[in-house]
Amino acid sequence: MTELALLVQGLLDGSIYALIAVGLTLVYGLLRILHVAHAALFTLGGYVGVVVTNETGSFILALVAAMIVAGIAGMIIYRLVYQPILHLPPYVALIASIGLFIAMQEGFRFYDEQGVSYVNPPVQGTLELAGQTLQLAKIVTFFVAIILIGGLGLLAAKTRTGVAWRATVTMPAMAESFGINIIQVRYINFFIGSALAAVAGVMVSLTTNLVEPTSGDVWSYKALAIIVLGGLGSMRGTLIACFALGVLEAFATTTCVPLGNIQICLGEIMNRDAIAFAFLVIVLMIRPQGLFVRA
Amino acid sequence: MEDLLNAYDMSLIRTAAVMVIMALSLNLITGFCGQISLGHAAFMGVGAYTSVVLSINGVDFILGTLAGMALAGILGILVGLTSLRVRHDFLAITTMGIVFLFSGIVEQSSFLGDTDGLSGYPHPAYGDFAYMVMTILLAIAVMLLSIYIRRSWMGATFKSIGDDEDTARILGIDVSLYKLAAFVMGTSLAGLAGSLYAHQTTIIQAENFGFIESITVLSMVVFGGVGSIAGVTVAAIVLTLLPLWSQFIGDYKLLFYGGLLFLMMRFAPYGLAGIVVRLQRLVFRRTGDTG
Amino acid sequence: MTTVLEVRDLRVVFGGVTAVDGVSFSVDDGQLLGLIGPNGAGKTTVMRSITGIVRPTSGNILLDGQRVTGLPIHRRMRRGLALSQQLVRPFREMSVIENVAFAAGYRKTGNPLKSLVTFDWTQERARATELLAMVEISSYADADTGSVPLGVLKRLEVARALALDPKVLLLDEPLAGLNSNEAVTLGDTIKRLNGDGLTVVLIEHNLGEVMRICPRLVVLDNGRKIGDGPAQEVMADPDVRAAYLGTGAGGSHAAA
Ligand SMILES: Nc1ncnc2c1ncn2[C@@H]1O[C@H](COP(=O)(O)OP(=O)(O)O)[C@@H](O)[C@H]1O
Ligand SMILES: [Mg+2]
Repeated sequence: MTELALLVQGLLDGSIYALIAVGLTLVYGLLRILHVAHAALFTLGGYVGVVVTNETGSFILALVAAMIVAGIAGMIIYRLVYQPILHLPPYVALIASIGLFIAMQEGFRFYDEQGVSYVNPPVQGTLELAGQTLQLAKIVTFFVAIILIGGLGLLAAKTRTGVAWRATVTMPAMAESFGINIIQVRYINFFIGSALAAVAGVMVSLTTNLVEPTSGDVWSYKALAIIVLGGLGSMRGTLIACFALGVLEAFATTTCVPLGNIQICLGEIMNRDAIAFAFLVIVLMIRPQGLFVRA
Repeated sequence: MEDLLNAYDMSLIRTAAVMVIMALSLNLITGFCGQISLGHAAFMGVGAYTSVVLSINGVDFILGTLAGMALAGILGILVGLTSLRVRHDFLAITTMGIVFLFSGIVEQSSFLGDTDGLSGYPHPAYGDFAYMVMTILLAIAVMLLSIYIRRSWMGATFKSIGDDEDTARILGIDVSLYKLAAFVMGTSLAGLAGSLYAHQTTIIQAENFGFIESITVLSMVVFGGVGSIAGVTVAAIVLTLLPLWSQFIGDYKLLFYGGLLFLMMRFAPYGLAGIVVRLQRLVFRRTGDTG
Repeated sequence: MTTVLEVRDLRVVFGGVTAVDGVSFSVDDGQLLGLIGPNGAGKTTVMRSITGIVRPTSGNILLDGQRVTGLPIHRRMRRGLALSQQLVRPFREMSVIENVAFAAGYRKTGNPLKSLVTFDWTQERARATELLAMVEISSYADADTGSVPLGVLKRLEVARALALDPKVLLLDEPLAGLNSNEAVTLGDTIKRLNGDGLTVVLIEHNLGEVMRICPRLVVLDNGRKIGDGPAQEVMADPDVRAAYLGTGAGGSHAAA
């Protein structure tokens, strides 16, 4: 496998992390909450995507439906779960979020224990790149992510509303004193973040052709690690960390380094998920403030 | 006495006792010292695997347990060192990472049995009843230790750190050293619980010590009332036994734990102990005891 | 006279804001120094740099002639500093007297191992009782810190700082939130403690009290030192009058 192929593979995975991590960062920026239950919205999106595709035959419709359902669910979570406990110590919201996440996961199990699959999986097929086979679905995911996140970034940079929104996410107190309706911005954040997580859920379901109650877990745990790596609350740092981790995982799981006359292969010592968290722990030891935030 | 309990009862009691040790050990870190840990089960796993590997190699149970505690404690110091350097929010995620590191490494290591885990290892030759009595006594010892710490100046210092660590520093408290002390004590006791657990069952696998298990222990601390020794003990026993007694709760154990965590935080963030305090206030107000 | 505390060419920059810009002064053993200046002048930042809460961009802090700039906060406090903060931070889970007694137990909390085998609170409670009486909040001893007025909490901060038996006491606006009688009494107490040999650095907006009890003043404005010397002389300095009194906090006005 060539370096180029690994790099591409890593960037493709990075785009999925990005879709999930944007929502986590939006929520953290505004509320200082580690929104663990975000993972459940990824899974919810996946379920809606598969079910609606199977019912209607339209994948695009399913994708939109998934975004809307997850977006609304995100707003409901804000209203019913977080808003009433914002004044309590931060661990309260964190633990509530974990509880909600686990409960929602079990709720999916009520609905469907085995998981759901596409009857006619859309966007299948593969592409050859430098001797490496890439799933078409992953490439589509990458471009969908770039378009959605890039579009969001443009809106935030170029429009009046976007600028106000960005200001609110980075400096809530300041924005409030300028008369911005901060509650409204919170709802918008939850809607957008959750909708993007749903997109990730749907796109991942294309590559695995399976959505089960625990589908979102590992992606989302790692997305939490990513937003910490990115410095918590910094969108640019988060996005860089997403792609950095994707690429790192691609290389670390397959590359061996010679040490004397033995080969050390990280992939043989620990699995992929452990590598991500080892990276997190090591980075935090060296740069406790996160990778991309100035001290 | 021995005849009154069947094997199943004894296994319930042993499990509950082990969970009491686990919950109280996390309570030292989270309850006393205010440091959230989402990865406490990993330290239990370190204790379990160390002790089992040693007993496979012919090492005595007690020595193996002590070694498991030591290793868990050393790992605890490492995690504690991270916690000193990172912001409060980061710690939750770092400790969560420990769980994935643990299982990620164990499941790739053939001498730890990969994903199959370890089984068929020798148990101490005490017999079920004596083993159960021993676990109960150890659980009581950990309770007493918790009470002891809470009453000591160390307990007061932990309380100050959990309350406001910046102010504790201004009063000359070496906050880092105390946090490390909490991590060492808490994680080595989790190692103890791990060894006890491993030797009362026949197989251990990395997934026995994963994220969900860590959250289960955290839910015991939260349900009992963060910091309250009695509350956490009761919560550990109730939350261990309920899913085993009630078929429904057993089937939907995670829904139950998750819902409980969520509802407690949403409606009673100070746990059972908080509810008791509120009831007391209510009663005292009725009797005109307080103004 | 020996110098106990020295601030040398201190600069503190927050983001783009230079809060302290090359400030130097030293405090002799047994002095009572008033550190004054308009709001935002950088007084609190200087005090927080002395204790180590704020990391200076450049410059040094010396205690007893030794550089402590790199030392963590708790080590500096254990070298004889104590701080009463501008924004009160009582431990909410402890009562008023427990807050002070806990601080008074500094010998027992110096080392985790020692703290683990120590239980006795009698001496500390006795000392705390004394200190609460000294700052005149004895009647609140057993109260919850959540339920007492700000004036009491400000004095609790002072009592808690005194409980560390400091060589140098740093007070950041201890009189704010007190009524004028309470302020005069606490001013007297500070003066008396100083008379007994305690070195004090006092940040205070109540100029009347400052002029009454501080023989020496250091004046900051916009992060720079613009005056340093005997109180009357400093206040007579045209620069100080222009910068400080010009902001509207006139001496006679504040003294009223
Ligand atoms: N933690 C901080 N971050 C950013 N700016 C700060 C911080 N602390 C103080 N400042 C700024 O530094 C300047 C000096 O503040 P401060 O030392 O509190 O003044 P004073 O105590 O004299 O009123 C002010 O402009 C203030 O806004
Ligand atoms: Mg100030």
